[in-house]
Amino acid sequence: MGSKDKITRRRAIAAGGATALFGGGVAFLATRSDSDEPRYVPESFHAGERETVFGIELGGRPIAGDRGAPVDVYYWTDYLCPFCKRFETETLPTIGREYVDTGDARVVVLPYPNIGAYSMPAAVWSRCVWRQVAESDSAAFWRWHEAAFDAQSESGTDWADEETFARVTERTEGVPADPVDSCRSDSAGSIRDAVETNLGVAQSAGIRGTPSFVLYNRDADASGKLVGAHPADTFSDALDRVLAA
Amino acid sequence: MTLAFGVAVPAWARGLPDALVHPLTSNTRLLGAGLATAVTYAVLVLSTFPGFTVQALASDPTDLFYAVAALTRETYLTVGWVGLGLVATYAVLAGVALTNAVALLGRARRTGASTVLGVVPGVLAAGCASCGAGVLGALGFVGAMAALPFQGNLLRLGGIALLLFFLGRTGDPLTCSIGGER
Repeated sequence: MGSKDKITRRRAIAAGGATALFGGGVAFLATRSDSDEPRYVPESFHAGERETVFGIELGGRPIAGDRGAPVDVYYWTDYLCPFCKRFETETLPTIGREYVDTGDARVVVLPYPNIGAYSMPAAVWSRCVWRQVAESDSAAFWRWHEAAFDAQSESGTDWADEETFARVTERTEGVPADPVDSCRSDSAGSIRDAVETNLGVAQSAGIRGTPSFVLYNRDADASGKLVGAHPADTFSDALDRVLAA
Repeated sequence: MTLAFGVAVPAWARGLPDALVHPLTSNTRLLGAGLATAVTYAVLVLSTFPGFTVQALASDPTDLFYAVAALTRETYLTVGWVGLGLVATYAVLAGVALTNAVALLGRARRTGASTVLGVVPGVLAAGCASCGAGVLGALGFVGAMAALPFQGNLLRLGGIALLLFFLGRTGDPLTCSIGGER
Protein backbone atom coordinates (compact mmCIF):
# COMPACT_ATOMS: atom_id res chain seq x y z
CA MET A 1 0.00 0.00 0.00
CA GLY A 2 1.67 3.26 -1.10
CA SER A 3 1.60 6.55 0.79
CA LYS A 4 -1.26 7.85 -1.35
CA ASP A 5 -3.28 4.81 -0.25
CA LYS A 6 -3.25 5.74 3.43
CA ILE A 7 -6.48 6.06 5.34
CA THR A 8 -6.82 9.73 6.22
CA ARG A 9 -8.92 11.29 8.95
CA ARG A 10 -10.60 13.49 6.32
CA ARG A 11 -11.78 10.48 4.29
CA ALA A 12 -12.88 8.62 7.44
CA ILE A 13 -15.00 11.63 8.49
CA ALA A 14 -16.40 11.96 4.94
CA ALA A 15 -17.35 8.26 4.88
CA GLY A 16 -18.97 8.47 8.33
CA GLY A 17 -20.89 11.60 7.33
CA ALA A 18 -22.04 10.10 4.04
CA THR A 19 -23.19 6.90 5.78
CA ALA A 20 -25.13 8.92 8.36
CA LEU A 21 -26.65 11.04 5.56
CA PHE A 22 -27.64 7.90 3.65
CA GLY A 23 -29.28 6.35 6.72
CA GLY A 24 -31.02 9.62 7.57
CA GLY A 25 -32.27 10.01 3.99
CA VAL A 26 -33.72 6.49 3.96
CA ALA A 27 -35.39 7.08 7.33
CA PHE A 28 -36.82 10.41 6.09
CA LEU A 29 -38.30 8.82 2.96
CA ALA A 30 -39.67 5.92 5.02
CA THR A 31 -41.45 8.09 7.55
CA ARG A 32 -42.62 10.90 5.27
CA SER A 33 -46.35 10.93 5.88
CA ASP A 34 -48.95 10.71 3.16
CA SER A 35 -50.58 13.74 1.59
CA ASP A 36 -52.78 15.89 3.81
CA GLU A 37 -55.09 16.63 0.89
CA PRO A 38 -58.76 16.12 1.80
CA ARG A 39 -60.00 12.67 0.83
CA TYR A 40 -61.93 12.35 -2.41
CA VAL A 41 -65.56 11.28 -2.39
CA PRO A 42 -67.03 10.81 -5.89
CA GLU A 43 -70.01 13.00 -6.79
CA SER A 44 -71.95 10.10 -8.31
CA PHE A 45 -72.10 6.34 -7.91
CA HIS A 46 -73.92 3.47 -9.46
CA ALA A 47 -74.01 -0.29 -9.16
CA GLY A 48 -72.74 -2.24 -12.14
CA GLU A 49 -75.39 -3.98 -14.16
CA ARG A 50 -75.26 -7.53 -15.38
CA GLU A 51 -72.66 -6.78 -17.99
CA THR A 52 -69.31 -8.27 -18.74
CA VAL A 53 -66.77 -5.76 -19.98
CA PHE A 54 -63.15 -6.66 -20.63
CA GLY A 55 -64.03 -10.11 -19.29
CA ILE A 56 -65.01 -8.67 -15.91
CA GLU A 57 -68.46 -9.27 -14.46
CA LEU A 58 -69.63 -5.85 -13.30
CA GLY A 59 -72.96 -6.95 -11.86
CA GLY A 60 -73.54 -5.34 -8.44
CA ARG A 61 -70.05 -3.87 -8.20
CA PRO A 62 -69.43 -0.37 -6.82
CA ILE A 63 -68.72 2.04 -9.67
CA ALA A 64 -67.81 5.70 -9.10
CA GLY A 65 -68.80 8.14 -11.83
CA ASP A 66 -71.41 8.42 -14.56
CA ARG A 67 -72.87 5.31 -16.13
CA GLY A 68 -72.19 6.76 -19.61
CA ALA A 69 -68.53 7.77 -19.05
CA PRO A 70 -66.53 6.58 -22.08
CA VAL A 71 -63.56 5.18 -20.17
CA ASP A 72 -63.66 2.48 -17.50
CA VAL A 73 -60.87 2.42 -14.91
CA TYR A 74 -60.69 -1.08 -13.43
CA TYR A 75 -58.95 -0.60 -10.11
CA TRP A 76 -57.67 -3.76 -8.42
CA THR A 77 -56.96 -3.08 -4.80
CA ASP A 78 -56.33 -4.65 -1.39
CA TYR A 79 -57.19 -2.92 1.90
CA LEU A 80 -53.93 -4.24 3.38
CA CYS A 81 -51.80 -2.69 0.60
CA PRO A 82 -49.88 0.47 1.61
CA PHE A 83 -49.17 1.36 -2.02
CA CYS A 84 -52.94 1.40 -2.68
CA LYS A 85 -53.32 3.86 0.20
CA ARG A 86 -50.73 6.06 -1.52
CA PHE A 87 -52.85 6.00 -4.71
CA GLU A 88 -55.98 6.83 -2.71
CA THR A 89 -54.36 9.80 -0.96
CA GLU A 90 -52.07 11.25 -3.62
CA THR A 91 -53.43 10.38 -7.07
CA LEU A 92 -57.14 9.60 -6.80
CA PRO A 93 -58.24 13.08 -5.62
CA THR A 94 -56.83 14.67 -8.79
CA ILE A 95 -58.07 11.93 -11.11
CA GLY A 96 -61.46 11.96 -9.42
CA ARG A 97 -61.98 15.70 -9.81
CA GLU A 98 -60.57 15.95 -13.36
CA TYR A 99 -61.94 12.79 -14.97
CA VAL A 100 -64.58 11.04 -12.82
CA ASP A 101 -66.63 14.04 -11.69
CA THR A 102 -66.48 15.51 -15.23
CA GLY A 103 -68.04 12.37 -16.76
CA ASP A 104 -64.93 11.28 -18.70
CA ALA A 105 -64.19 8.15 -16.69
CA ARG A 106 -65.77 5.84 -14.15
CA VAL A 107 -63.84 3.84 -11.57
CA VAL A 108 -64.72 0.21 -10.86
CA VAL A 109 -63.37 -0.99 -7.51
CA LEU A 110 -62.27 -4.63 -7.76
CA PRO A 111 -60.73 -6.70 -4.96
CA TYR A 112 -57.34 -8.33 -5.49
CA PRO A 113 -56.50 -9.95 -2.13
CA ASN A 114 -52.74 -10.57 -2.18
CA ILE A 115 -50.99 -8.90 0.73
CA GLY A 116 -51.86 -10.79 3.90
CA ALA A 117 -54.07 -13.38 5.55
CA TYR A 118 -56.87 -10.87 6.17
CA SER A 119 -56.92 -9.54 2.58
CA MET A 120 -59.79 -11.83 1.51
CA PRO A 121 -61.91 -11.24 4.65
CA ALA A 122 -61.39 -7.49 4.08
CA ALA A 123 -62.68 -7.90 0.51
CA VAL A 124 -65.77 -9.68 1.91
CA TRP A 125 -66.34 -6.80 4.37
CA SER A 126 -66.16 -4.32 1.48
CA ARG A 127 -68.64 -6.20 -0.68
CA CYS A 128 -71.09 -6.58 2.21
CA VAL A 129 -70.87 -2.88 3.04
CA TRP A 130 -71.60 -2.01 -0.60
CA ARG A 131 -74.61 -4.36 -0.68
CA GLN A 132 -76.17 -2.58 2.31
CA VAL A 133 -75.67 0.99 1.09
CA ALA A 134 -75.78 0.72 -2.72
CA GLU A 135 -79.43 1.74 -2.98
CA SER A 136 -79.80 4.09 -0.02
CA ASP A 137 -76.52 5.95 0.51
CA SER A 138 -73.85 4.88 -1.98
CA ALA A 139 -71.41 7.60 -0.81
CA ALA A 140 -71.29 5.75 2.54
CA PHE A 141 -69.42 2.96 0.76
CA TRP A 142 -66.69 5.37 -0.27
CA ARG A 143 -66.49 6.76 3.27
CA TRP A 144 -66.07 3.20 4.56
CA HIS A 145 -63.51 2.44 1.82
CA GLU A 146 -61.39 5.47 2.80
CA ALA A 147 -61.75 4.72 6.53
CA ALA A 148 -60.53 1.16 5.93
CA PHE A 149 -57.38 2.50 4.23
CA ASP A 150 -56.94 5.03 7.05
CA ALA A 151 -56.91 2.11 9.52
CA GLN A 152 -53.63 0.83 8.07
CA SER A 153 -50.93 0.94 10.70
CA GLU A 154 -47.37 2.16 10.22
CA SER A 155 -46.01 -1.30 9.49
CA GLY A 156 -46.96 -4.89 8.75
CA THR A 157 -50.41 -6.45 8.35
CA ASP A 158 -51.17 -7.42 11.96
CA TRP A 159 -53.52 -4.44 12.30
CA ALA A 160 -56.01 -6.07 9.90
CA ASP A 161 -58.42 -8.21 11.86
CA GLU A 162 -62.09 -8.67 12.71
CA GLU A 163 -61.95 -6.07 15.45
CA THR A 164 -60.43 -3.31 13.29
CA PHE A 165 -62.89 -3.76 10.41
CA ALA A 166 -65.83 -4.00 12.82
CA ARG A 167 -64.70 -0.70 14.38
CA VAL A 168 -64.35 0.97 10.96
CA THR A 169 -67.85 -0.25 10.02
CA GLU A 170 -69.46 0.95 13.26
CA ARG A 171 -67.85 4.36 12.99
CA THR A 172 -68.68 5.03 9.33
CA GLU A 173 -71.75 7.18 9.00
CA GLY A 174 -74.54 5.57 7.00
CA VAL A 175 -73.26 1.97 7.21
CA PRO A 176 -75.59 -0.36 9.19
CA ALA A 177 -73.31 -2.72 11.15
CA ASP A 178 -75.77 -5.57 11.86
CA PRO A 179 -76.88 -6.19 8.24
CA VAL A 180 -73.19 -6.13 7.21
CA ASP A 181 -72.49 -8.83 9.79
CA SER A 182 -75.43 -10.92 8.57
CA CYS A 183 -74.16 -10.58 4.99
CA ARG A 184 -70.71 -11.76 6.07
CA SER A 185 -72.18 -14.83 7.81
CA ASP A 186 -74.59 -15.72 4.99
CA SER A 187 -72.74 -14.79 1.81
CA ALA A 188 -69.00 -15.00 2.54
CA GLY A 189 -68.66 -18.17 0.43
CA SER A 190 -70.36 -16.80 -2.68
CA ILE A 191 -68.50 -13.47 -2.38
CA ARG A 192 -65.17 -15.33 -2.16
CA ASP A 193 -66.09 -17.32 -5.28
CA ALA A 194 -66.94 -14.13 -7.19
CA VAL A 195 -63.66 -12.53 -6.07
CA GLU A 196 -61.70 -15.62 -7.18
CA THR A 197 -63.38 -15.53 -10.61
CA ASN A 198 -62.46 -11.90 -11.24
CA LEU A 199 -58.99 -12.58 -9.83
CA GLY A 200 -58.51 -15.11 -12.62
CA VAL A 201 -59.51 -12.47 -15.21
CA ALA A 202 -57.07 -9.98 -13.66
CA GLN A 203 -54.23 -12.48 -13.72
CA SER A 204 -54.90 -13.38 -17.33
CA ALA A 205 -54.71 -9.63 -18.11
CA GLY A 206 -51.21 -9.62 -16.59
CA ILE A 207 -52.16 -8.09 -13.24
CA ARG A 208 -49.71 -9.36 -10.61
CA GLY A 209 -50.05 -6.99 -7.68
CA THR A 210 -51.84 -3.99 -6.25
CA PRO A 211 -52.71 -1.33 -7.05
CA SER A 212 -53.16 -2.14 -10.73
CA PHE A 213 -55.37 -0.54 -13.32
CA VAL A 214 -56.76 -1.27 -16.74
CA LEU A 215 -58.04 1.82 -18.53
CA TYR A 216 -60.59 0.80 -21.14
CA ASN A 217 -62.32 2.94 -23.75
CA ARG A 218 -65.48 0.93 -24.38
CA ASP A 219 -66.43 2.65 -27.65
CA ALA A 220 -62.99 2.43 -29.23
CA ASP A 221 -62.20 -0.95 -27.62
CA ALA A 222 -58.78 0.48 -26.69
CA SER A 223 -57.08 -0.19 -23.38
CA GLY A 224 -53.98 0.61 -21.35
CA LYS A 225 -52.51 -0.85 -18.18
CA LEU A 226 -50.94 0.91 -15.21
CA VAL A 227 -49.17 -0.86 -12.35
CA GLY A 228 -48.55 0.83 -9.00
CA ALA A 229 -49.29 4.21 -7.45
CA HIS A 230 -48.11 6.53 -10.21
CA PRO A 231 -48.13 10.31 -9.77
CA ALA A 232 -51.30 12.06 -10.95
CA ASP A 233 -49.52 13.44 -14.06
CA THR A 234 -48.58 9.97 -15.30
CA PHE A 235 -52.10 8.70 -14.62
CA SER A 236 -53.62 11.69 -16.45
CA ASP A 237 -51.37 11.13 -19.50
CA ALA A 238 -52.45 7.49 -19.68
CA LEU A 239 -56.14 8.45 -19.35
CA ASP A 240 -55.78 11.11 -22.06
CA ARG A 241 -54.26 8.56 -24.45
CA VAL A 242 -57.09 6.07 -23.88
CA LEU A 243 -59.73 8.82 -24.14
CA ALA A 244 -58.27 9.97 -27.46
CA ALA A 245 -58.09 6.44 -28.89
CA MET B 1 -8.94 -19.80 14.26
CA THR B 2 -7.61 -17.09 16.64
CA LEU B 3 -8.96 -15.64 19.83
CA ALA B 4 -10.08 -12.03 20.18
CA PHE B 5 -11.21 -10.97 23.68
CA GLY B 6 -11.44 -14.67 24.47
CA VAL B 7 -13.83 -15.31 21.57
CA ALA B 8 -12.86 -17.61 18.73
CA VAL B 9 -12.73 -15.70 15.42
CA PRO B 10 -13.18 -17.83 12.31
CA ALA B 11 -10.40 -17.54 9.74
CA TRP B 12 -12.64 -15.89 7.13
CA ALA B 13 -13.65 -13.07 9.50
CA ARG B 14 -10.13 -11.92 10.33
CA GLY B 15 -9.83 -9.93 7.11
CA LEU B 16 -13.18 -8.17 7.61
CA PRO B 17 -11.88 -4.95 9.24
CA ASP B 18 -9.25 -4.51 6.49
CA ALA B 19 -11.87 -5.11 3.80
CA LEU B 20 -14.35 -2.64 5.30
CA VAL B 21 -11.85 0.24 5.44
CA HIS B 22 -10.40 -0.36 1.98
CA PRO B 23 -12.61 2.31 0.29
CA LEU B 24 -11.04 4.86 2.67
CA THR B 25 -7.65 4.43 1.02
CA SER B 26 -8.32 6.86 -1.85
CA ASN B 27 -10.80 9.55 -2.82
CA THR B 28 -11.72 7.68 -6.00
CA ARG B 29 -12.45 4.47 -4.10
CA LEU B 30 -14.51 6.34 -1.50
CA LEU B 31 -16.54 8.05 -4.24
CA GLY B 32 -16.92 4.73 -6.05
CA ALA B 33 -18.17 3.00 -2.90
CA GLY B 34 -20.66 5.83 -2.33
CA LEU B 35 -21.99 5.64 -5.88
CA ALA B 36 -22.18 1.83 -5.75
CA THR B 37 -24.10 2.06 -2.46
CA ALA B 38 -26.61 4.53 -3.91
CA VAL B 39 -27.09 2.49 -7.10
CA THR B 40 -27.44 -0.79 -5.15
CA TYR B 41 -30.01 0.75 -2.81
CA ALA B 42 -32.01 2.15 -5.75
CA VAL B 43 -31.92 -1.20 -7.58
CA LEU B 44 -32.94 -3.15 -4.46
CA VAL B 45 -35.84 -0.85 -3.65
CA LEU B 46 -37.01 -0.47 -7.27
CA SER B 47 -36.93 -4.24 -7.78
CA THR B 48 -39.56 -4.73 -5.07
CA PHE B 49 -42.19 -3.65 -7.64
CA PRO B 50 -40.59 -4.09 -11.08
CA GLY B 51 -43.80 -3.53 -13.08
CA PHE B 52 -44.29 -0.10 -11.48
CA THR B 53 -40.62 0.80 -11.84
CA VAL B 54 -40.49 0.00 -15.55
CA GLN B 55 -43.66 2.03 -16.26
CA ALA B 56 -42.57 4.98 -14.10
CA LEU B 57 -39.14 5.25 -15.73
CA ALA B 58 -40.49 4.64 -19.23
CA SER B 59 -43.08 7.41 -18.95
CA ASP B 60 -40.67 9.92 -17.40
CA PRO B 61 -37.08 9.08 -16.38
CA THR B 62 -37.13 12.03 -13.98
CA ASP B 63 -39.66 10.06 -11.91
CA LEU B 64 -36.70 7.98 -10.66
CA PHE B 65 -36.60 9.85 -7.36
CA TYR B 66 -40.40 9.61 -6.99
CA ALA B 67 -40.18 5.84 -7.57
CA VAL B 68 -37.31 5.36 -5.08
CA ALA B 69 -39.10 7.52 -2.47
CA ALA B 70 -42.45 5.75 -2.98
CA LEU B 71 -40.96 2.28 -2.81
CA THR B 72 -38.80 3.18 0.23
CA ARG B 73 -42.00 4.12 2.06
CA GLU B 74 -43.70 0.97 0.71
CA THR B 75 -40.80 -1.21 1.91
CA TYR B 76 -40.92 0.37 5.37
CA LEU B 77 -44.70 -0.03 5.62
CA THR B 78 -44.47 -3.66 4.50
CA VAL B 79 -41.45 -4.96 6.40
CA GLY B 80 -40.79 -2.27 9.02
CA TRP B 81 -37.54 -0.79 10.29
CA VAL B 82 -35.76 -4.16 10.48
CA GLY B 83 -36.41 -5.01 6.83
CA LEU B 84 -35.56 -1.51 5.57
CA GLY B 85 -32.45 -1.43 7.79
CA LEU B 86 -31.30 -4.72 6.30
CA VAL B 87 -31.77 -3.36 2.76
CA ALA B 88 -29.78 -0.19 3.60
CA THR B 89 -27.05 -2.20 5.35
CA TYR B 90 -26.84 -4.51 2.38
CA ALA B 91 -26.44 -1.52 0.04
CA VAL B 92 -23.54 -0.12 2.09
CA LEU B 93 -21.78 -3.50 2.24
CA ALA B 94 -22.38 -4.04 -1.50
CA GLY B 95 -20.79 -0.62 -2.15
CA VAL B 96 -17.68 -1.69 -0.24
CA ALA B 97 -17.68 -5.15 -1.85
CA LEU B 98 -17.93 -3.76 -5.38
CA THR B 99 -15.07 -1.31 -4.71
CA ASN B 100 -12.97 -4.15 -3.34
CA ALA B 101 -13.92 -6.40 -6.26
CA VAL B 102 -12.68 -3.76 -8.70
CA ALA B 103 -9.36 -3.58 -6.80
CA LEU B 104 -9.14 -7.39 -6.76
CA LEU B 105 -9.75 -7.62 -10.48
CA GLY B 106 -7.14 -4.92 -11.09
CA ARG B 107 -4.60 -6.86 -9.02
CA ALA B 108 -5.55 -10.14 -10.70
CA ARG B 109 -5.00 -8.61 -14.16
CA ARG B 110 -1.46 -7.77 -13.12
CA THR B 111 -0.66 -11.10 -11.44
CA GLY B 112 -2.27 -13.66 -13.70
CA ALA B 113 -5.45 -15.40 -14.77
CA SER B 114 -5.55 -17.89 -11.88
CA THR B 115 -6.26 -15.08 -9.41
CA VAL B 116 -9.09 -13.78 -11.61
CA LEU B 117 -10.71 -17.21 -11.45
CA GLY B 118 -10.33 -17.17 -7.68
CA VAL B 119 -12.12 -13.83 -7.46
CA VAL B 120 -15.03 -14.66 -9.75
CA PRO B 121 -17.00 -16.83 -7.26
CA GLY B 122 -16.82 -14.06 -4.66
CA VAL B 123 -18.04 -11.41 -7.10
CA LEU B 124 -20.85 -13.70 -8.30
CA ALA B 125 -21.85 -14.50 -4.72
CA ALA B 126 -22.05 -10.79 -3.97
CA GLY B 127 -24.19 -10.19 -7.07
CA CYS B 128 -26.60 -13.05 -6.34
CA ALA B 129 -27.06 -12.06 -2.73
CA SER B 130 -28.00 -8.56 -3.84
CA CYS B 131 -30.75 -9.66 -6.21
CA GLY B 132 -32.59 -11.91 -3.72
CA ALA B 133 -35.70 -9.79 -3.17
CA GLY B 134 -35.82 -8.37 -6.67
CA VAL B 135 -35.72 -11.63 -8.57
CA LEU B 136 -38.85 -12.88 -6.83
CA GLY B 137 -40.72 -9.73 -7.83
CA ALA B 138 -39.36 -9.79 -11.39
CA LEU B 139 -40.56 -13.36 -11.81
CA GLY B 140 -44.06 -12.27 -10.90
CA PHE B 141 -44.14 -13.53 -7.34
CA VAL B 142 -45.44 -10.30 -5.88
CA GLY B 143 -46.24 -11.03 -2.27
CA ALA B 144 -43.73 -13.89 -2.26
CA MET B 145 -41.43 -11.96 0.06
CA ALA B 146 -44.31 -11.54 2.50
CA ALA B 147 -44.82 -15.29 2.52
CA LEU B 148 -41.18 -15.99 3.30
CA PRO B 149 -40.04 -16.41 6.92
CA PHE B 150 -39.99 -13.01 8.68
CA GLN B 151 -41.36 -11.39 5.49
CA GLY B 152 -38.14 -12.06 3.59
CA ASN B 153 -35.88 -10.66 6.33
CA LEU B 154 -34.19 -14.04 6.66
CA LEU B 155 -33.29 -13.90 2.96
CA ARG B 156 -32.00 -10.33 3.37
CA LEU B 157 -29.95 -11.40 6.41
CA GLY B 158 -28.58 -14.29 4.35
CA GLY B 159 -27.49 -11.82 1.65
CA ILE B 160 -25.67 -9.70 4.25
CA ALA B 161 -23.98 -12.79 5.74
CA LEU B 162 -22.83 -13.83 2.26
CA LEU B 163 -21.40 -10.36 1.62
CA LEU B 164 -19.61 -10.30 4.99
CA PHE B 165 -18.16 -13.73 4.21
CA PHE B 166 -16.97 -12.49 0.80
CA LEU B 167 -15.43 -9.36 2.32
CA GLY B 168 -13.76 -11.30 5.16
CA ARG B 169 -12.30 -13.89 2.84
CA THR B 170 -10.88 -11.18 0.59
CA GLY B 171 -9.57 -8.89 3.31
CA ASP B 172 -7.63 -5.87 2.02
CA PRO B 173 -7.71 -6.48 -1.74
CA LEU B 174 -4.36 -4.73 -2.20
CA THR B 175 -2.38 -7.11 0.02
CA CYS B 176 -1.57 -10.73 -0.81
CA SER B 177 -2.17 -13.70 1.48
CA ILE B 178 0.60 -16.23 2.08
CA GLY B 179 -0.17 -19.94 2.01
CA GLY B 180 -3.88 -19.32 1.99
CA GLU B 181 -3.77 -17.81 5.51
CA ARG B 182 -4.10 -14.08 5.93
